[in-house]
Amino acid sequence: MPMKAVILAAGEGTRLRPFTASEPKVMIPVANKPILQYVVESLVANGITRIVMVVGYKRTSIMNYFGNGEEFGASIEYVNEDKQLGTAHALYQARDKVSDQFLVLPGDNVISRKTISDLLKQRSEYSVLITRSDHPSKYGVVTMDDGMVADVVEKPEKSPGHIISTGIYALQPEVFDYIEEMMHERLFDITSVIHRMLEDHGLKGIITDSMWIDAVYPWDLLTVNSAALAQMVKSSSGNVERGVMIKGNVRIGEGAVIKGGCYIEGPAIIGEGCEIGPQACIMPSTSIGNDTKIGPLTLVKNSLVMKGVEVGPNSTVEQSVIGDGVNLGSNFCSHVGTREMVVEEGIKVLQSIGCMIAEDTAIGSGVTVKEGVIVGSKCSVSPGTVVRERIPSFSRIL
Amino acid sequence: MCGIVGYIGNSRALDILLKGMKRLEYRGYDSAGIAVRNHDEIETEKRKGRVDDLELDGLFDGNIGIGHTRWATHGKPSDENSHPFFDCTGSLAIVHNGIIDNFVTLKEELEMAGHTFTSQTDSEVIAHMVEEYYSGDLLDAVTKTVSRLKGSYAIVVMHRDHQELIASRNQSPLVVGMGTEENLVASDVPALLDHTNEVKYLMDGDIVRITPDAVFIRDATGREVDRETKVIKWTVEDAEKGGFEHFMLKEIHEQPKAIHESLLGRLVEFDEVDFARYDIRHINIVSCGTSYHAGLVGKYIIESIAGIPCMLDLASEYRYSSPPDIYPFTVFISQSGETADTIGAAKEARRRGCKTLGITNVLDSSLTREVDEVIYTQAGPEIGVAATKTFTTQLIVLYLMAIELGLQRGKLLIEQAETYRNELRKLPRRVEVLLNDTEEIQDISKRVLANAEDIFFVGRNINYPVALEGALKLKEIAYIHAAGYPAGELKHGPFALLTRETPVVAICVKDSTYEKMLGNIGEIAARESPLIGVGQEDHELEKLCDEMVHIPDIPPLFSPVLINVVLQLFAYYTAYNLGRSIDKPRNLAKSVTVE
Repeated sequence: MPMKAVILAAGEGTRLRPFTASEPKVMIPVANKPILQYVVESLVANGITRIVMVVGYKRTSIMNYFGNGEEFGASIEYVNEDKQLGTAHALYQARDKVSDQFLVLPGDNVISRKTISDLLKQRSEYSVLITRSDHPSKYGVVTMDDGMVADVVEKPEKSPGHIISTGIYALQPEVFDYIEEMMHERLFDITSVIHRMLEDHGLKGIITDSMWIDAVYPWDLLTVNSAALAQMVKSSSGNVERGVMIKGNVRIGEGAVIKGGCYIEGPAIIGEGCEIGPQACIMPSTSIGNDTKIGPLTLVKNSLVMKGVEVGPNSTVEQSVIGDGVNLGSNFCSHVGTREMVVEEGIKVLQSIGCMIAEDTAIGSGVTVKEGVIVGSKCSVSPGTVVRERIPSFSRIL
Repeated sequence: MCGIVGYIGNSRALDILLKGMKRLEYRGYDSAGIAVRNHDEIETEKRKGRVDDLELDGLFDGNIGIGHTRWATHGKPSDENSHPFFDCTGSLAIVHNGIIDNFVTLKEELEMAGHTFTSQTDSEVIAHMVEEYYSGDLLDAVTKTVSRLKGSYAIVVMHRDHQELIASRNQSPLVVGMGTEENLVASDVPALLDHTNEVKYLMDGDIVRITPDAVFIRDATGREVDRETKVIKWTVEDAEKGGFEHFMLKEIHEQPKAIHESLLGRLVEFDEVDFARYDIRHINIVSCGTSYHAGLVGKYIIESIAGIPCMLDLASEYRYSSPPDIYPFTVFISQSGETADTIGAAKEARRRGCKTLGITNVLDSSLTREVDEVIYTQAGPEIGVAATKTFTTQLIVLYLMAIELGLQRGKLLIEQAETYRNELRKLPRRVEVLLNDTEEIQDISKRVLANAEDIFFVGRNINYPVALEGALKLKEIAYIHAAGYPAGELKHGPFALLTRETPVVAICVKDSTYEKMLGNIGEIAARESPLIGVGQEDHELEKLCDEMVHIPDIPPLFSPVLINVVLQLFAYYTAYNLGRSIDKPRNLAKSVTVE
């Protein structure tokens, strides 16, 4: 019998702020598709078409994009988690929608068809998909005993190993009894539930080395974007003028115009209705969302530029994340360099990072943003400014 | 997208198919057709138009049949291109939803084998291919056929000599409904729910043989399988709306996408109509209801961008007015393209010797045959009776048209046109920003508007028609009396009606009327009417108003698109709080095909 899948997509993804101002993390696009779409497509490719999505934070953006799922070959139902208390609480909202063994997946990791089939092939009654990570302390770290999970420790300070849980499970409906029990004790995360369950049931740990990428912080989006672009299939339905050079794997959307003299090197994707150039340079690992305009003589390289953006002429956008509706004036420049970022786990040193500008911020002409700087949403920055430090949302920089 | 449905059992197939097709109209409604097996003959009726337009007198008494409702995206809707399709001898009929990628090769092969085609569609090859492979076993013939098909499909096949339906799917949806001594199959659950709530979802590659008392399924490998029977707990209404409570709310939220689609490929070159062929010195826009309001906004757009004087007429009045001594280029706007008044007016305009243009959302609708030129709004099917995304895309078409006319007349400089196009390109995002945060609007609707008996909407200049439209929406779906006025007109009468119990929605943007508008709002404030301001961030305005809804920054010329979305949401949430039937308001129909 075909299984159902429950996708947890109710959380905001606060560590990605300010990029979650108007949509949850699962809807952030990489290679012009929301992260959640990679999850849906991987399920459908494995014949799992009946999907329950647990939604909460900014849920209309999800419902509006996925609808009833038909466009994606799936049939999608939605349940709400009004207060986002934890993963187990989120899953609990779907209790009336499943009756047999089902899959649970976080909606915010980019995965591939094979990730799911790895789990499907080897699963037993209760299974979890595990993988190796260089940064285990951000996740639930798993210790194994003869193919079975011995223990899970959530975000340990000192990690007992490099095997982590992907948060992808095959479970039985009985899990809801355990969730209820744990919720009585005010514990709302799946790891606590798994802990309790390990007392009664075995949990098989299935190791995968297929695609599983997590974007935790805004700068991680660049890595995820490159990985997703590497998997992309080339196609073109735009209007490419004479004298445009296109090399490698490049995808151009319907109604897009690439004006004369542009040089585009793949992997790169250009969305529907974009206007690029003339004489613009789009270099590898770049995504450009729908309805975006890239001005003449501008260079965009290894960057994630979202939809409805305008980049003025003679600008440089490198190693940068540019959110929906951002306006960059002419002669914009993103410096690339090394910066130390303060994160929950301590200090993280980023090599070769540009800037990260969140949605609907307007930047005047001749502005330079220094390496590693995050500019919040709906800011305005006056012409000629050099932005050296992080700017909170809704700021006006004169 | 299309909708298909099949029935086999003891009841009159026709009635069940028609009901099911109506339920699938959200998937498209530009052509419809059915076939019913009646005493070893297949009777059929298909034509361009909606399910209600089918002519079904007298015949169709059988208990087996198939039906189809279509939304053409490529290729014209026409009687010939409507489903069902038949083989050469009329022994078997098929309906199909999807796209057959390799149909050109298959068609050539079948034509070589002597088959005659009657349509341009990809779907017809399926009928002939089944005929080619048929030798008494229908299931076998369909199995061989689908093994040759590349692309997406959901199909249902019937044969005059068989007491069975054969269906199959690949990448297009298909569900089997399990009844008692009857079974159904359809693109989506709503078409089945009147008869059964027990369904089987088919998987890609499944081929299924359906009889009145059995459903036999083979998977892609030819193995006999069963698919789990699910009991559907939700109602017909929930099914089609993808998580939204009403079509209207879904369609309001679809507007960023609709604007994007409407602009696609048109920003760089808008060449669907060669306006240079017509000597356009005056424009007359003729339409009804919400489309009339779009036309009124269009007057401001065209006059300010292209400098061409523009007159407005209601279609129901136009036909009986005496023609002036000029021959304006006459533009007809109708969402459905089937509005009887508008079509009548278009005929009249031709009689008067005017050149005409139709703006509509439905491909090849009746209006398109009565005019010289057509521009489509490309908004996709709209189901809610209250027009939302179609109004917005009508405005988009009017902006595009005005820019084109302005350039041709030399009134608009190319760099100014570029600025306008850039504003249009940014519109989807701006509407999205607005839709991302509607809590304030929901709160005002619940607290202020839903408790009122009369509501006034005021605006000036290009936002005066938007005030009219805001009032119309509220009347349509919330059943609250509302009136729109140009703000400067209040003191000429309506002022007498303002009290503490009459909320006023005031639209105020920083255009040439800004100072005057603030003055008008001050006068209203003095009457102590609850004042709801709609505009950009603005301290002057906020000081005067009791409530304030902000729209993203935008030049005044393009502000109607955003402000109208706010007013749509006011109407929606007010109606919602009053428990109104939002998608089907009393006494109203989606397209008004009577005069």
